[in-house]
Amino acid sequence: MKIPRIPDAQLDLLAERLSAIGVGRRDFLKVAAGLATLGAAGFNARPAAAAPKLGPGEKLAKDQHLRIGGGGWWQNDPSSHDYNKDLYCTGVAALWAGLMKFDVNFQPVPYVASRVASNADGSVWTFTIRKDSKWSDGSPCTAKDFEWSWKRQMDPASKNPYSSYFYDIKGAEPFNKSKVPDASQVGVVAKDDWTLEVTLEGPRGYFPVLSAYLAALPAHRPSVEKHGDKWTEAANIVCNGPFTLEAWEHNKVMVLRKNKHFIGAKDVTLDKVTIPIVPLESGALPYENNELDLSPLQTGDLKRLRDAPATKSQVFRYPFPGTWYLLPQVTKPPFDNVKVRRAVAHAIDRESIVRVADGFAIPAHSMIPPGFPGAVDDKKIRDIQRFDPKAAMAMLKGTPYEGGRNWPKITLTMRQEGLGSKPLAEAVQSVLLEHLNMKTDLEVQEQRVFRAGLWQHNYQFVWIRWFMDYPDPHNEYFDTFYGKKTEGKRQAWVNDAFDKELELGRDTRDTKKRMANYAKAEEIMQTDAGYIPVAWVARWAAAKPTVRGLEKNKLGETVVDGNIYVDMLPQIYMVEKA
Amino acid sequence: MGLSTPASGTNVTAGPRPLADPDGIRAPLPVAVEAGAELRSSSLWRDAIRRLLRNRLAMAGGIVVALLCLIAIFADVLAPRPYTKTNFGRLNEAPTRDYLLGTDQLGRDLLSRMIYGARVSMLVGLGAQIIVVSIGVPIGALSGYLGGRADLFLTRFIDVMYAFPRLLFVILVMSMLGAGLTNIFIAIGLTGWVGIARQTRAQVLAIKEKEFVDAARGLGAGFARLLSRHILPNAMTPIVVAVTFGIPEAIFTEAALSFIGVGINPPTPSWGQMVGEGQQYIRSYWHLCVFPSIAIAVTMLAFTFFGDGVRDALDPKMK
Amino acid sequence: MVQYVVARLLWLIPTILAMALVTFLVMHATPGSPLDPIAEGANPLPPEAQKVLAKHYGLDKPLWHQFGIFVAKAARGDFGFSFVYKTRTVAEILRETFPISLFLGSMALALAVAGGLTLGILAAVYQNRGWDYVSVSLATVGVAVPNFVLAVFLIILFSFVVPLFPTGGWESPRTWVLPTITLAAAPMGIIARFTRASMLEVIRADYTLTARAKGLSETPVIFKHALKNALIPIVTLLGPMFAAVGTGSFFVESIFRVPGMGRFFVQSMTGRDYPMIMAVVLTYGVFLAIMNLAVDLAYGALDPRIRY
Repeated sequence: MKIPRIPDAQLDLLAERLSAIGVGRRDFLKVAAGLATLGAAGFNARPAAAAPKLGPGEKLAKDQHLRIGGGGWWQNDPSSHDYNKDLYCTGVAALWAGLMKFDVNFQPVPYVASRVASNADGSVWTFTIRKDSKWSDGSPCTAKDFEWSWKRQMDPASKNPYSSYFYDIKGAEPFNKSKVPDASQVGVVAKDDWTLEVTLEGPRGYFPVLSAYLAALPAHRPSVEKHGDKWTEAANIVCNGPFTLEAWEHNKVMVLRKNKHFIGAKDVTLDKVTIPIVPLESGALPYENNELDLSPLQTGDLKRLRDAPATKSQVFRYPFPGTWYLLPQVTKPPFDNVKVRRAVAHAIDRESIVRVADGFAIPAHSMIPPGFPGAVDDKKIRDIQRFDPKAAMAMLKGTPYEGGRNWPKITLTMRQEGLGSKPLAEAVQSVLLEHLNMKTDLEVQEQRVFRAGLWQHNYQFVWIRWFMDYPDPHNEYFDTFYGKKTEGKRQAWVNDAFDKELELGRDTRDTKKRMANYAKAEEIMQTDAGYIPVAWVARWAAAKPTVRGLEKNKLGETVVDGNIYVDMLPQIYMVEKA
Repeated sequence: MGLSTPASGTNVTAGPRPLADPDGIRAPLPVAVEAGAELRSSSLWRDAIRRLLRNRLAMAGGIVVALLCLIAIFADVLAPRPYTKTNFGRLNEAPTRDYLLGTDQLGRDLLSRMIYGARVSMLVGLGAQIIVVSIGVPIGALSGYLGGRADLFLTRFIDVMYAFPRLLFVILVMSMLGAGLTNIFIAIGLTGWVGIARQTRAQVLAIKEKEFVDAARGLGAGFARLLSRHILPNAMTPIVVAVTFGIPEAIFTEAALSFIGVGINPPTPSWGQMVGEGQQYIRSYWHLCVFPSIAIAVTMLAFTFFGDGVRDALDPKMK
Repeated sequence: MVQYVVARLLWLIPTILAMALVTFLVMHATPGSPLDPIAEGANPLPPEAQKVLAKHYGLDKPLWHQFGIFVAKAARGDFGFSFVYKTRTVAEILRETFPISLFLGSMALALAVAGGLTLGILAAVYQNRGWDYVSVSLATVGVAVPNFVLAVFLIILFSFVVPLFPTGGWESPRTWVLPTITLAAAPMGIIARFTRASMLEVIRADYTLTARAKGLSETPVIFKHALKNALIPIVTLLGPMFAAVGTGSFFVESIFRVPGMGRFFVQSMTGRDYPMIMAVVLTYGVFLAIMNLAVDLAYGALDPRIRY
């Protein structure tokens, strides 16, 4: 008897229903996975509704060829496409398919794994892999491939700068730090070709999120063993994602071709994708000259394209989670006094400041931008660092700087970068001068020199931008601000109550409880003014009218490929020009 | 190298003086004679100044240069507004009656920033050139004059310095000495003298063969006097031309360095940086990039004409 | 003469060694470590990982040892793997990109010489009259307008307003035009100015007077007698100029998407890509040293009194 497949749109509805009654993420996955196994082809996270939707009189283009690039996308030749070994290879993620992936709402959904289940406390996870999972040369892509790939990532010989990513896995850290000679003790085991069992160091509610991220992508063992570092060249590469690499002319262009062995191949409309290497300096010129179909925009081009009637409708904003914030160094006067820090926080006129970014920043009142897991919208928290010049001055009473006098030399240090970072910093200087009579010197530093000093806590006052690596508050809070870290701390600020909340959030598997932990952590940090959020990153892109299929998330925003969601290309289809 | 823009770091000057003055008799001590007037003996310098004053184009250039210097010195008085005063309500506005040259990304008055920018650009441009000339000319002159092993050694030294990784050196200097205007033009100057050295050497090589040099030597002139009184004044042409090119080149080098994060720190305005940062807005807010570009071009033209005039004045054969 | 050339070529070796040493020292002295991952949010590597990476790159050995290894390998053409493009060797990358920069640079220089000489001669011959002012102004504009601004203007004019050329890339000869013009603008201006200055001196020389007095018409006077002598300063220019444009301009190549080696000059330094830094500096240095030799030899041809 043929079991009807439950359409994905219904599953999304189910998720909403469940979360309304308090069923947490992990639990939903159990439920959804259970439902999916009733279906014939397994869980396909792409909503059925996303099949090409054509308007009246429109036709699918005969030539399903998309050209993307520019605006920061592949401004340099990738060093490889080997995400398994080098998370920052800047290669094409669409060549790969991981056990899970992020959907357009940045929720992890099963992908190559049709089902994900955990034990009672969330310390052992089991991934059931689809039996139609193949590599682009037709050979099966099995659990053994994933076991080998993940162990390769943790292997100290790979020198992967991001290998601490999997330290939640039992035995991963000793293996990576060479305290044990091999990976036999690491808790990743392929029980058979289609089952992968992962044992963690303890309950980890967020593990599905980790397995959906770029750092968990597989590699093709025979190719790696045969070609070594050159295995991702076009002539050698074997991949399991929606596209294969047909050609790669270094520093010039990459050409992708639809992978007919891909598990979701029947739903991929695009046949060919051309990605020229376009340095930032070209701006939107290639897009405007019809040499590209889809391109992110930089500060100089947004206003012009938004104002011009011809291109107005082509421009759209897309979510790209990042936060600009200030770090007043608690070990250096005048910021060693919490009242001074709070005063600075009250003096930040966010609405005015973001105007200088010309559309590329919006005011921020907490670390995580809206729409992402862990976003905080509590009025109580918003009030802690609200813009209030009177309160700012009032805070200074009782300090040596009362009335905005006697400020010592204050240097605001930042790293050289684009997208309006410098004008924003100058705007911060301006409001501090206006509301607190605090004069600051802006010091723009070369990238590596800046980082070297940052880790040493040399700077008195820092202007810094953070991009979200994966959508879980653990990344935003723990990785950035956890006080007990021995290395990799950007600031000297430490707060025990704050750290406690972070540890609770890490170890709990109950989603609602976790979010409460992180919200409390945010409240503590803002009250102690360990950091001062100023703005969230807003990014814009432009797409020609012939490009369709870009997904929209729950908030109605169009989503393009980023660090987290990399599923754009399989959804796109081209229509005939009107 | 591929970093600064005009001629990519060549810092070039001309070669040896051609066979323009074979006996060079006229080089020292020309005597000005006017029909019917009493014989007036005058020095090389007074003659030169008189010639300079008569050259209208050069004087125009000189006046502009002087004006720029005055603007740079009196920026505080001349600028209608402080260059840090922001206005979040009027960002990136094109020129209006209120803001004669428009406003920048923070609503600051572009005219005021241009005026203060004159100070920075003059300092960077002239400061770097002073260092460049002080190092490059003596080295080149010594190399060309002494010849033999000294020449061989110095030329190789110049060759090595030519390939020097300027960007890295500037990062190093800035991180050791800290940010600051003087450190920047020291760093630029210390790595930019090689072109002038080569040109000076080539000039000196040719000139030292001339009879007037022999004559002067025969008269007992020592090495230093020979160089400073006789040879170098005749080698001036390429040095002057190189300096006029070097000034905008230093300005652009500073701008290029700021793209990496080792330039002058904001909010201090520098024309070079304003052009560099304004480039991405050229099609939306043209004024951000165009006005500083014009300023640099005018500065360069002024130095060019004035420099040409100075060189012409010092050349006794130009009438 | 032959002795001189051989001596100079032999001198190339210690010169290059000195270049390498100076670069090596400055490179290691500059703060900022290549072991630091570049990515936005990345934390610094834990100490064990740093040790492993340092060992892999050979950075754990004492400096003089590292330099020795570098020289030994470089002599065989092996500059190692790029720290930034981890799967490719520096030699491989340069082998692909250097010829392109060289080609673009040669075209630009040819244009600059042709244009610059013409403008300069015109300016000198018509001194203080129309052509002189036009020529000097053009030359000044060419140098005073930075090439990244000129590039945008050209693209707007010739890609959008008059769609003649693509905005960039390096496929057909059509894509060569705009980058060549942009790259040639400043050198053309410089050559024009030097030509003018040099010609002016020469035109007034006695021997020119003599040639005219002999009854020669203006053309051979200018071209045969004057120009040859005026060329020396220009030839001095051309050496380093060719080395500079031949190794790629960062901005021009970026804006026009020319896959040359220009970008590595900046990228390797900000990325502390040690092998790449050494390679680009040495490429530039060797190129330059050879050009300087050619220039010095040319002096001998142009001015018989310059002897070696």
